[in-house]
Amino acid sequence: MAHASSSSTSGNPVSGMLTVIAVQAAGALYLRQFLLIDDWRFVLGLLVLFAAVLVFLERVPSVETRIEAAFARHSRLALLMGIALVLGFPFVLEGNTYALHLCVISMLYAVLALALNFQLGSANIPNFATGASYGIGAYASALLALNFGVSFWLALPAAAVVATVFGFLLGIPSMRTRDSYLALVTIAFGVVVHQLLNNLEFTGGPNGLVGIPVPELFGHAFSDPLVILGHTLPPQANFYYLSALLVFISIVFAERLHDSRVGLAWNALRADELAARCQGINVTWYKVLAFAVDAFLAGFAGTIYAFYVGFISPDNFTFLVSVTIMTMVIAGGMDNILGVIVGAFLLTMLPEKLRAFSDYRILFFGITVILFLMIRPQGLFPQRLRRYGD
Amino acid sequence: MGISPSAPVVLEGENLTMRFGGLVAMAEVAFTLKRGEILGIIGPNGAGKSTLLNIITGIYIPSSGEVRLEGQRLNGVPAHRIVARGIARTFQSSRLFADLSVLDNVVIGRHVHTKAGVFDAIFRRGRAKAELDAAAAHAEGLLKSVSRGLYDQRHRPAGELAQADRRRLEIARALATDPKVLLLDEPSSGMDDADTDALMDDIRAVCAQRPELALMIIEHDMRLVASLPDRVMVLDYGQKLADGPYEEIRKIPRVQEAYLGRKATQHAGA
Repeated sequence: MAHASSSSTSGNPVSGMLTVIAVQAAGALYLRQFLLIDDWRFVLGLLVLFAAVLVFLERVPSVETRIEAAFARHSRLALLMGIALVLGFPFVLEGNTYALHLCVISMLYAVLALALNFQLGSANIPNFATGASYGIGAYASALLALNFGVSFWLALPAAAVVATVFGFLLGIPSMRTRDSYLALVTIAFGVVVHQLLNNLEFTGGPNGLVGIPVPELFGHAFSDPLVILGHTLPPQANFYYLSALLVFISIVFAERLHDSRVGLAWNALRADELAARCQGINVTWYKVLAFAVDAFLAGFAGTIYAFYVGFISPDNFTFLVSVTIMTMVIAGGMDNILGVIVGAFLLTMLPEKLRAFSDYRILFFGITVILFLMIRPQGLFPQRLRRYGD
Repeated sequence: MGISPSAPVVLEGENLTMRFGGLVAMAEVAFTLKRGEILGIIGPNGAGKSTLLNIITGIYIPSSGEVRLEGQRLNGVPAHRIVARGIARTFQSSRLFADLSVLDNVVIGRHVHTKAGVFDAIFRRGRAKAELDAAAAHAEGLLKSVSRGLYDQRHRPAGELAQADRRRLEIARALATDPKVLLLDEPSSGMDDADTDALMDDIRAVCAQRPELALMIIEHDMRLVASLPDRVMVLDYGQKLADGPYEEIRKIPRVQEAYLGRKATQHAGA
């Protein structure tokens, strides 16, 4: 991949297109190998390869610039190729249901990390309650489906609205605090939500909710295998495509907001809250807005999770989930969409792939955060400066 | 320079008092600022100069007294609304958005003149983008007019700028809000004489392009105070000591004692 792009000349459109194709294909191939390999030594080998590529790109910035330029020039090709790869990916997993499951969970976490990125990355609001918003979305949709027979497709937006309302509610007390105190308020909110889910009658207490109905679309139940062009994919593929769509929507949201006046205002209050106020930015409103957007996307992810697994309990949405999401944003790169997604995939899959060390899962997240904050505080993929008018 | 005596008052303060618990940071200070005027504010550290700026910009709410912009009361109006009404400021220790580009800093200054919200950004992207592109074009023009050198660095992170350029950028960012009144908090602090001279030229150019703009400058650099403002107000222990042209101000013995010190006393005598 690195070789193919370094030998290309920047002025040549064909080599630019080849660069885009090669980079994306290499990424997909890498992900496939990562998913299908079982032996932890091979997993470590792949990690070393990933690190080596990153170090190489850091050492030889011209290659990175060239790849970036190629993607910027052929953005439509990159988009089409990306969509094709995502659509075709389940076909190359050899019917491995576990690999597909990991993809679904990774994508849901990618959505959650993108949601948190609006706060932590764009506006530097340490929100430790994304897991709670995720849970509120999951419970809201599950309760709607179980008690009122609401279909998945209606429950999806309804749960997002409920989660957003709670996001606003969390935002209001948070307006009056900042930094560590703000973090404490969000931690308290997360704990309160967890306790309520655990103790309330109608949420099923610690047993949670069971028997969440399987979504259907045009008579096709999502528990059935998916048959495309005579090729049969395992049932997980239904949710794979659904979560892929959600990731796509989240990316569009994230990009558009980042490149807008709203994203700029968030960045301004991240850099200097007082200065932002003195430029006419209603700091309070933009903070609450970040909470709401975060909760909205997390609510979506929660609904898909609930209907995918069919069973939810309070323990799926603990404080630890919030910490995990925060680790993904920090490791991937604050305010960088690609970085956040890579962070989510890596940190979802690694603990699963390194089952031999599953007792040390928390330790692993802790060490990841500490290492990143020490060695590369800007994350795998740092934020980029904006450009206008092109 | 001088302004016509008939110019209307744009900003005025009346009986401004600021108490922090038992501490009286400002006691019954009154001031006026006319359209197109440059008012210098001097006084030793702790005299209440920054307190005055924070009151005017809505960061502090005065314990008593009133601030009026073109006759409209500002007390209790939130800081971000005061910007929209036409008061912009810079800070003593420059507070730029260091990790954003120079251009982004000025575009953020256009915040009160743009409207796109979350809904526009996501579902009416064309409109939101056109608005932001227009703001960026406006910001580029502004940067160019404030300083060519700054314009050439517009795609660099603001945090990488030299001290003098940071001050210029802060001024450009404040001007982007299209203010009627611009408040500069020690613009020359941390600069050498050459930089200060260049800064004064830039401020003069800014004023020449905007004859309506009223300026309030807190300064310690006597060279700047002597040449730039039309009028100087002296604060000491939160009270107004004097108010008038520099030539008169510097002769008042209490001013020399309280602020200008021995060196300036000699200077005044020379």
